[in-house]
Amino acid sequence: MQITLTVNGKQYSNDIEPRMSLTQYLREVLDLTGTHVGCDTSGCGACTVSLNGAAVKSCTLLAVQADGGELTTIEGMANGNEMHPIQKAFKEHHGLQCGFCTPGMVMTAANILKDNPNPSEEEIRHGLEGNFCRCTGYHNIVKSIQHAAEEINN
Amino acid sequence: MQVKGNYMVNTTPNVVWDMITNPAVLEKITPGIKTLTVTGPDQYDAISEVKVGPVKGNFEGTLSLKDQVNLESCVLVVDQKSKMGNVVAEISMKLIPDGNDNTEVQYTGDAKMSGMLARMGQRIMSGVVSTLSRQFFQSLNKELEGEPSTE
Amino acid sequence: MGKFVGKAVKRREDARFLKGAGTYTDDIKLPKMAHTAFVRSPYAHANVLSIDIEEAKNEPGVIAIYTGNDACGEFGVPCGWQVDFKNGETMREPAHPLLTKDKIRHVGEAVAIVVAETLEQARDAAEMVMVDYEELLAVTDPKQAMEAGAPLVHDQWEDNAAFDWCIGNDRAEVEAALESAHHVTEMEYRNHRVAPNAIEPRSYIADYDVNADKWTLYTSTQNPHLIRLLLCAFVLGIPEHKVRVVSKDVGGGFGSKIYHYTEEALLTWISREIGRPVKWTSDRSEAFMTDAHGRDHVVKSKMGFDKDGKIVAHLTDEYCAMGAYLSTFAPAVPTYLHGTLFQGVYTTPLIHLNVIAPFTHTVVVDAYRGAGRPEATYLLERIISKAAKEMGMDPAEIRFKNFIPPFDGVEEAGYQTQVALQYDSGDYHGVLERGLEMLGYEDFRKEQAKAREYGKLLGVGFSSYIEGCGIAPSAVVGALGARAGLYEVGHVRVQPTGKVSVFTGAHSHGQGHETVFAQFVADKLGIEMDDVEIEHGDTDQVAFGMGTYGSRSLAVGGSAIIKSIDKILEKGAKIAAHKLEAAEEDLEYAEGKWTVKGTDKSISFGDVSLTAYVPHDYPEGLEPGLDFSSFYDPSNFTYPFGTHIAVVEVDSDTGKVDVKRFIACDDVGNVMNPMIVDGQIHGGVVQGIGQALLEEVVFDEAGQMINASYMDYAMPRADDIPMIETDRTVTPCPHNPLGVKGAGEAGCIGSTPAVVNAVVDALAHLGVTDIQMPVTPQRVWKAMQN
Repeated sequence: MQITLTVNGKQYSNDIEPRMSLTQYLREVLDLTGTHVGCDTSGCGACTVSLNGAAVKSCTLLAVQADGGELTTIEGMANGNEMHPIQKAFKEHHGLQCGFCTPGMVMTAANILKDNPNPSEEEIRHGLEGNFCRCTGYHNIVKSIQHAAEEINN
Repeated sequence: MQVKGNYMVNTTPNVVWDMITNPAVLEKITPGIKTLTVTGPDQYDAISEVKVGPVKGNFEGTLSLKDQVNLESCVLVVDQKSKMGNVVAEISMKLIPDGNDNTEVQYTGDAKMSGMLARMGQRIMSGVVSTLSRQFFQSLNKELEGEPSTE
Repeated sequence: MGKFVGKAVKRREDARFLKGAGTYTDDIKLPKMAHTAFVRSPYAHANVLSIDIEEAKNEPGVIAIYTGNDACGEFGVPCGWQVDFKNGETMREPAHPLLTKDKIRHVGEAVAIVVAETLEQARDAAEMVMVDYEELLAVTDPKQAMEAGAPLVHDQWEDNAAFDWCIGNDRAEVEAALESAHHVTEMEYRNHRVAPNAIEPRSYIADYDVNADKWTLYTSTQNPHLIRLLLCAFVLGIPEHKVRVVSKDVGGGFGSKIYHYTEEALLTWISREIGRPVKWTSDRSEAFMTDAHGRDHVVKSKMGFDKDGKIVAHLTDEYCAMGAYLSTFAPAVPTYLHGTLFQGVYTTPLIHLNVIAPFTHTVVVDAYRGAGRPEATYLLERIISKAAKEMGMDPAEIRFKNFIPPFDGVEEAGYQTQVALQYDSGDYHGVLERGLEMLGYEDFRKEQAKAREYGKLLGVGFSSYIEGCGIAPSAVVGALGARAGLYEVGHVRVQPTGKVSVFTGAHSHGQGHETVFAQFVADKLGIEMDDVEIEHGDTDQVAFGMGTYGSRSLAVGGSAIIKSIDKILEKGAKIAAHKLEAAEEDLEYAEGKWTVKGTDKSISFGDVSLTAYVPHDYPEGLEPGLDFSSFYDPSNFTYPFGTHIAVVEVDSDTGKVDVKRFIACDDVGNVMNPMIVDGQIHGGVVQGIGQALLEEVVFDEAGQMINASYMDYAMPRADDIPMIETDRTVTPCPHNPLGVKGAGEAGCIGSTPAVVNAVVDALAHLGVTDIQMPVTPQRVWKAMQN
């Protein structure tokens, strides 16, 4: 099947198998390997990307469902060499260790802050509910998002 | 996994008994059944396609009825294999007349699953089983409506 | 503290991870790479009657299908540790084949592998492989596995025991002391099985180069050199110098990626068979079935006290599951990583532990964050808290009463335990005192009493843990059954321009070695961190190594690097003395230069290194170059310790436990980077809370793991956890040059009993004395009703 979509501001058109997941499409066809696969039941959130402005778990979407859509992946968050304030905050506050869940965390964080620019700790924790991190105990991820919110609002 | 339930069928135990021991009827009313081949007295080979919500699979294996007490009770033995995993179950059924030409069918038993069905499916499987049982008895009731009364 | 050491230096590895530019194994794509899918057993115990691959072979894209009948490593993967029976009988060690041809021993055991052009084609064809099984009765519980008539996992032996082992004082002596004790507290419970769940599933790519006759194995391992050694020398019998093992970015390990797995060896074998690169990446469902699990001890314990609440004796019997085979470190976990910590932080004079380790029809059990030490700590910290309740003592008071007095290991000798080890240095009072201060203990007890009046159930739980880290002195572990040394290698190559490349055998999979190692290297050499690069995870780059686990990277790997730096400075001084026309002993090294004492004559590190590589004006007889490699074999384990305190609120209607506060006061020795140590503690604490409240691997009677997905296996999510309050004391390790002890496992060791103690404390007034972990709402609610 032919699909056409915009990923990180660039348009792509590919002929793909209808059963191909969006994650596979990003990783295998576009070589955007920053989007990770940690499970097969949309439980871990490592595959989170932004589709038409909303955070989605790309492992449970078919690539064909994203046809015509506009996607942002972790690779599209920085502006050239200038990291996004969320990325900067994660680095500044040690919001990552092994880095595997990190792309999903950053994409989810962006979604949390888009909907709610001043989230409380509880709201951040609630917003991260769909993403597993096994390294950080979430402590510094929550802290990073709090600081990113401040940074973006100033 | 425990399987347990009951269903009211709008006819007498005699009719229910005849129907559930009749392969032609069974083939019609069992959800998802594609073929049912008699291999012996109350012994069948069955091929079915089950689709309930997220659970979908082609099953192949045997069905049989044992420990029959005429018009009262029997045990349904299911041994089905699929790519998603295998199911082995023994379900005892009781037919209880309510005195108004209706029959309450009570069933209880244990189903053992393996493979992906066991790992990921147990939580949804009990829902699937109750849906399938409901479909079975609904079809049985429908089948009754289409049949002339035995009276 | 130097310019970098002791500072919260931000991590250098973060930029690539944050941009999605990390290179995890599954991100690697090689030209002509084939893909694979396994055919795995749906049964826990079965005979394989037949395997039919004919139909599958003809599926589109299929390159090859292999079964256990193909000659791929007959004896399979070996075990790395031998723990014999206490009666002298040798440990029972079954073959652990790469593919099983006759007998299935756990769900998920591989019977065939399909190699195809694409992953989808491999998976499609795998579905067409027909395997006929005869299902047999299975046993998954370690205690039941030892009952008469239990199904045998390996029928060449008369029962399921892999070994039956004991440690400590004479059993009769311990029993006698318990007989005459003033009070005896008993406990019986299960330290239940959990799944490690690194978020990156295991992934391997094997690439055989036919022209060079060389293999490259890309693998998500914590332990590249050991994998190469096992793979070459023990499994496939291929020459070690022909194999390169690469594991760069690895998405978490927690123990589960230490071991040599069958899939690694099988792919390496297949790559030569087909003459192409070949890849396998586990999915989560496979990970639950095939990654080594953790814990799974069935415990029965007695602790005796005198009338003052001092421990007089401790006796424990355990059944500890091994799973279907012996994984790489499995026998060490419930024995030498567990029994040796039964002293805890207390002066217990008599200790005896007996461990029976049965095979079970489950995936293997091996080290999981803490490995044996969390299980020891859970027992000690639960039973001492239970004893305090029974004897009407305060849980802090009973601990203070029994603590080993402070000792620094320099002026005062190390503490000799009853269970083989000698602790290096410790101040166990200090961390509990600080913890109580952070908690505000007196105020808490008032708040708790008041809350009870309003029907609110608050509880506090303590845990004063110790762990044995910095694994390990080779001769000691050799005597205990290890089949490998546990030293580490640190190679420091000073480039001609004075830039420094460091190659370490330690492996980073989240710990931040690229940053932390550069901090102390830069300080020690008096240069900038930017001038130091840390390399790891490639056997062609790094001479040798034993990998990262057991909180060993800094204590052992860091020490090896320091040793090499010492050699560099020693040689550098010779060159500097020559250039400065001074005697070596008149020089001092500081801030990146050698200076003639009392003068302003100096030469920089960069000039000396350039001289070493351009030796025109050079000391006579001295070899050019500035490049040293060292092996560091520690003289002892390190013993981090700490006190963890949990405050919980139990919902009186539903039994749900809410962790309100978590306080961790740890002592990990000297701290290189406090930000990273805190991060390690946070993560460990939350994993430990996970075991206490949420996580459990559940098998049904037939040996099926019935919660093998993220829909059903409950791990801590962000909204299950509060912010973690951390602080620390510093008692340096007296026997390694950095004075460090290790921080990777501490959180996971201390936290679990603290949480359960807190839950029991919250319900104590209802007569609750123990609740089986995980303390789910259902279990808590039931306990409240009784």
